[in-house]
Amino acid sequence: MSHSSMHRKDYLRPRGLEAFQHYYVGIESLAELATTDDRVCVLNILGSESRSVTPTSHVYSGGNIVCGTQPGKSGSSLKTEIGDIPVYNTVVEAMDAGHRFNVAVVYVPPSGVKDAVIEAIRVNPKLTKVVILTEKVPLKDARIVRQYGQQQGVDIFGANCLGIADAHHRVRIGGALGGSSPEESLVPGSVAIYSNSGNFTTTIAVYLLTAGWGTTVSYSSGKDVYIHFAAPEFTNAFHNDRRSRAAVMYVEPGGYYERDLTFHKPVVACVVGRWKDRLTKACGHAGAIAGSGDNAAAKERWFMEKLGVDAIFTEDNPVCSAKGAVVTNIAHIPAAMTAVMSQSGFIPDFEPRGNLSLKCWFADDSGIELPPQLDIRPVEAVSPYREQIEIVNRQVGIILPRQSMKDASGASMMDPQTQVSRLQGVSVLDAATRSYEDNLVLSLIREYPNAGGSALANVALNAYVNLHGSPMLDAAAAARTAGNSPNTSLCSAVSILGPGMVAPSREAARTLIDLFRETGLSDPEDEKFDISEIMKQASYQEQAAKLTGETPDARGEAMLTGIKARGVKSIFVQLLRSLAKQSGRHPTADAVLAAICCHLAWRPLVLKRLSMTTAVNMPWHIRVFSTMVGASVRKERQTADQFGGVDNQELISGWSFTETAYLALLTQRPGEDELFAFSILMGLTVTNGPGTISAQGAKGAVSADGPEVPERVQINKAYAGFLTHTGYAHGGNGFEAMRFLIERFGSLGVKDPGDPEHGLDLAAIAADFAKEFKVYKTSAKSAGNLSYDKIPCVNHPIFKGKDVNYDPREVYVHDLFRSRGTYNLFHEFYHELVKALAAFGVSRNVYCVNVDAVIAVILLKMLWKPFVAGEIDDRFLEYGAFTTFVYGRVAGDAAEIEDHLNRGRNMDTRTAASKCQFVN
Amino acid sequence: MQITGMSWGAQLLNYVGYPTPEVLGPDATREQIKSLIDRYGRILIKPIFKGGVGKKGKAGLIGFATDVDTAMREKERLFFVEHRVGNIRAKADGVTFEGAIPAEHEIYVSITDDTRYRAPTLTITHHGGVDIEELSADQIATIPFDALTGFKGFIVANALDRIHAPKEIISPLVQNLPKLWDLFNNYGMSVLELNPIRMMPDEDRLIPVACDFKCSFDTDDPNWKRLDLPGSLESTDYSTFELEVNELRTYQGQSDAFVINDQGTVTAMTFGGGANALVTEMLGDVGTISSDFGGNPPYKKMYDISSIVYKHWLGQSNVLFIIGGKANNTDIYNTFRAMGDALRDYFNQYGAKPLFVVVGRGGPNLIRGMAYMKDVLDALGLPYRMFGHDSSISGVVNYVKHIDTWMREGGQAEIASQMGLGGSS
Repeated sequence: MSHSSMHRKDYLRPRGLEAFQHYYVGIESLAELATTDDRVCVLNILGSESRSVTPTSHVYSGGNIVCGTQPGKSGSSLKTEIGDIPVYNTVVEAMDAGHRFNVAVVYVPPSGVKDAVIEAIRVNPKLTKVVILTEKVPLKDARIVRQYGQQQGVDIFGANCLGIADAHHRVRIGGALGGSSPEESLVPGSVAIYSNSGNFTTTIAVYLLTAGWGTTVSYSSGKDVYIHFAAPEFTNAFHNDRRSRAAVMYVEPGGYYERDLTFHKPVVACVVGRWKDRLTKACGHAGAIAGSGDNAAAKERWFMEKLGVDAIFTEDNPVCSAKGAVVTNIAHIPAAMTAVMSQSGFIPDFEPRGNLSLKCWFADDSGIELPPQLDIRPVEAVSPYREQIEIVNRQVGIILPRQSMKDASGASMMDPQTQVSRLQGVSVLDAATRSYEDNLVLSLIREYPNAGGSALANVALNAYVNLHGSPMLDAAAAARTAGNSPNTSLCSAVSILGPGMVAPSREAARTLIDLFRETGLSDPEDEKFDISEIMKQASYQEQAAKLTGETPDARGEAMLTGIKARGVKSIFVQLLRSLAKQSGRHPTADAVLAAICCHLAWRPLVLKRLSMTTAVNMPWHIRVFSTMVGASVRKERQTADQFGGVDNQELISGWSFTETAYLALLTQRPGEDELFAFSILMGLTVTNGPGTISAQGAKGAVSADGPEVPERVQINKAYAGFLTHTGYAHGGNGFEAMRFLIERFGSLGVKDPGDPEHGLDLAAIAADFAKEFKVYKTSAKSAGNLSYDKIPCVNHPIFKGKDVNYDPREVYVHDLFRSRGTYNLFHEFYHELVKALAAFGVSRNVYCVNVDAVIAVILLKMLWKPFVAGEIDDRFLEYGAFTTFVYGRVAGDAAEIEDHLNRGRNMDTRTAASKCQFVN
Repeated sequence: MQITGMSWGAQLLNYVGYPTPEVLGPDATREQIKSLIDRYGRILIKPIFKGGVGKKGKAGLIGFATDVDTAMREKERLFFVEHRVGNIRAKADGVTFEGAIPAEHEIYVSITDDTRYRAPTLTITHHGGVDIEELSADQIATIPFDALTGFKGFIVANALDRIHAPKEIISPLVQNLPKLWDLFNNYGMSVLELNPIRMMPDEDRLIPVACDFKCSFDTDDPNWKRLDLPGSLESTDYSTFELEVNELRTYQGQSDAFVINDQGTVTAMTFGGGANALVTEMLGDVGTISSDFGGNPPYKKMYDISSIVYKHWLGQSNVLFIIGGKANNTDIYNTFRAMGDALRDYFNQYGAKPLFVVVGRGGPNLIRGMAYMKDVLDALGLPYRMFGHDSSISGVVNYVKHIDTWMREGGQAEIASQMGLGGSS
């Protein structure tokens, strides 16, 4: 009969094991640590840690927990899969209710631990073991707990430990050894584990499995200054446990617990923490702060002497004896155990399970190229993780966490210092040097397309620009006739492009992504990619019906012709062609549009930079872009075959969308210089951050539909939000500058504003105006008129009070044109104007040429000749300036719409009533 | 928290009525010093160091004076004196003036918890005034005693008897030393050391006057806070980072973090004491901090800790490293969600940083946690590798070191350019 099973009050003074003369130890063998007979009461059972751990322990151990305590919670219970555990206010109450137990597990907060332990021992004479999980128990209390346990003949474990688990008995007492699935890590075998680290107790058990070693008892000792059941007691019990043929001891610096051990069975000791000598404070384990005699180096020496080795066991230098080995890295434990045991002729308990090589479960390079030796690719994980990972990986694209997106954006930002905004991380200054179509694509897929991508985008955008015979065109025309502003008429057109009109193309996009999602395709231009398997799936009636039709689709054919003409390779288009060929059907225009969108979206989708939601919405956005350009062209200029006088097929096969937009606005194909200038105009205006009115309109529209159910959000309505949130003051004010310039130069006989030899003295004109304006302003002010005519586009709130009166965007564009040798009379005049305004002290404000002026001077230069020839009028100028702004800004708002849709919460743009004001 | 020297030591000892010499602080006037000299004949001038700095006498850092001018000169010499013991460097900030105690006997006494006995233990010798390590074992008595009853006079008597101490010192020590237990036990100390105690003759008996003082407080015991010691007494210089993290020190979950190298380039969020030891050791000087955030911290605490770590260290880091073994109880989803959210908020607040993220972890809700982190990293455009608990932690640490090297050699610039950082603005 072992001592521990005796009734401890059989003795006046508790007598423990013979082996320990100076203090009480009741546990003779590791087999007694956690037995199937042990019955447990958990103190503070409803605390957060216990609530998650205790049910697992209870179930794993076949129901060894009879009750728990929680002050004030008497009558409640802790649910587990095998029945509820009753909860009482106190241990006394639990005992009065008839519960009998020999183990107390303590989850009580640190300040209460001492009293809880004393009380549990006091009222329950049958108590033989106390396991204290609590961290940060004061030293003073630990002393008393130790002494009290000694006096009463109770074995105490911890504190700050994770308790005990016995894989053979399938019993876990105390903490969470083996985590939520103990049987995964705790496999019956022949090795006992003693570990100062709770986490490493389980980790070592898992590591041992990789060499085929299972465990008997895993004991997490804790590493406070007081380790109540420590290395000497463990070692004695290990010797007396017939199941345990070897032990792993994981020890940290500090304390003399291990110094005088002697071993009769093999031991692999892992001593970690040489670096801790550099610390003057305990980090992690309170007791792991050492003096000179008990630091890691000293402990390595102790064990090396005991185990008869002269060096640390490593892979390169596997030093060991039949007595054991010393390692300083837990990864070396399995190999050391096998090496030590083989010297005594012992072989592992079972076949190795897994190995410790690097097994990557998730990887992403975000588009960079890692050197091959660092490029560790994901491998299949062990079950059950494999199945869980598969589910995660089936997810294509990113899923962004949702948050309130009021006045916030993940798509754009404005630097308040420089006023230079970024769209998808690209500065508007850089965007200004890219084509219109590239910026539109950037807005959706968060990166610029390559040459093939741009070509495909041009095919798609041009394929839908001709609105002949469509209600969109009628709506725009009607709105225009009724005297609406350009944005309002475009809004009418876009409003009609509802979900029903784009459903087939969105469905086709979803189908294509589904077909390709698990194929490992990374480069959509790789036409050699084997699509035979995909073809089989795509041939199913359901899929085929979404991508092809019975009869030829003229627009679809035109797009395919355009793609061929442009020489672009695309595996998605290839699939449509093959499918059509095999089935004798015809790719629909919707499917070709979807294929183009999938092609563009694929790389960011695979790199998890884009969501599936956005990829599926892309055809809708493309249709909106085309519709806006199409609807800005009068009905008379659109026929079934021609748009603005150019054949549809010619546009699809050969024109860039920038050229088409220019054609729409200015009725002709642009030359190289015009194209450059026009791209700059639109690039500069793509965004001004999420705070700008147009962005607010778009975001509000998304928010009101409820982005948490993205399917319900009407993309075209979001663009309507954008368009209704532009107007004469926001977007149309470039026209003010044009009118101002016309007033200055209309009568001066300027023929070509691009000719530097214009013979005008711009400085003098500017000076005359400044003087004149000063007089006007003074008289207006003295007459009390504060709403006098201001000079357009020379103010900027941000640059107030600065010595330097330059808008960095304007400077950038000015330099860009200058580097191309392009001259703009109006732009130069504006520079002279701000200088003159400063020189004549017109205002204390510092003037600068702002970005709206840039738009005005570029546009006016383009339109100057037809204007002076009387071919276009004031109204046209206004319309042109406004529409150009809208064309440019649509890119930024496309990005805001998708950003808000992916990140936002329902109705997150509203302002709390408490923040609103009532004014009289 | 540690206190050394008589400046504060005398005040603490006075709480329990233990004899001390008269001690004047650095602000003492010439008149006060003169009066001290008049009464003691001779005074000591000692520099005030923060923390446990020993071997001051040997280093010539104790001045003596029998007149005020010498005392003031010594004050000037010692006020900001620098002292080095091993690789610990300390700089004085002030001096004390202490009445010299003439004595024949010098005693060493300490109370601490000795792991050999797992009990509070008295260490005493009458060969004091020197480093205890320099004495042979038979010159020192080490006696554990009962924590419930405390430190009694008979323990002192037995101890001194064992090492054949001179009879005349036994009685005064038996009378006075038990007072130290009150100080030690009631104010949450983990170490209390008086060396030397000088046995000052007073008429026909000896008074054991404490002439130097050293103690450490147990940070887990709130009792020492009752002493209302000024925060500036804190022995070790905590960095701002450490102070911020320490604010979060509650019993729910660990939050221990220390600066290892303020020039480091790998910031490791480590979970578990074992992982902390292994990872810190293997990372060596590339690591910025040594941390242990295990113990299933609640979301809010984990978020706050992560925010502090990121704010202080991500700016200079190449690698953000999240590492632990197979967690038993720490909820991986919960902790990863907190770290991920904090990272996203860090990017929002301080701008994007070109980082490589390496994760090695196991435990409850592992894949959910990894998937959450992955979504966050995908959104931020950061490259990463995540390893399961069946990859050896040391293997993962080695991988991190290789990634760190690659980052230094151009990888970081590559990531920056991929993230659109550092281009024209």
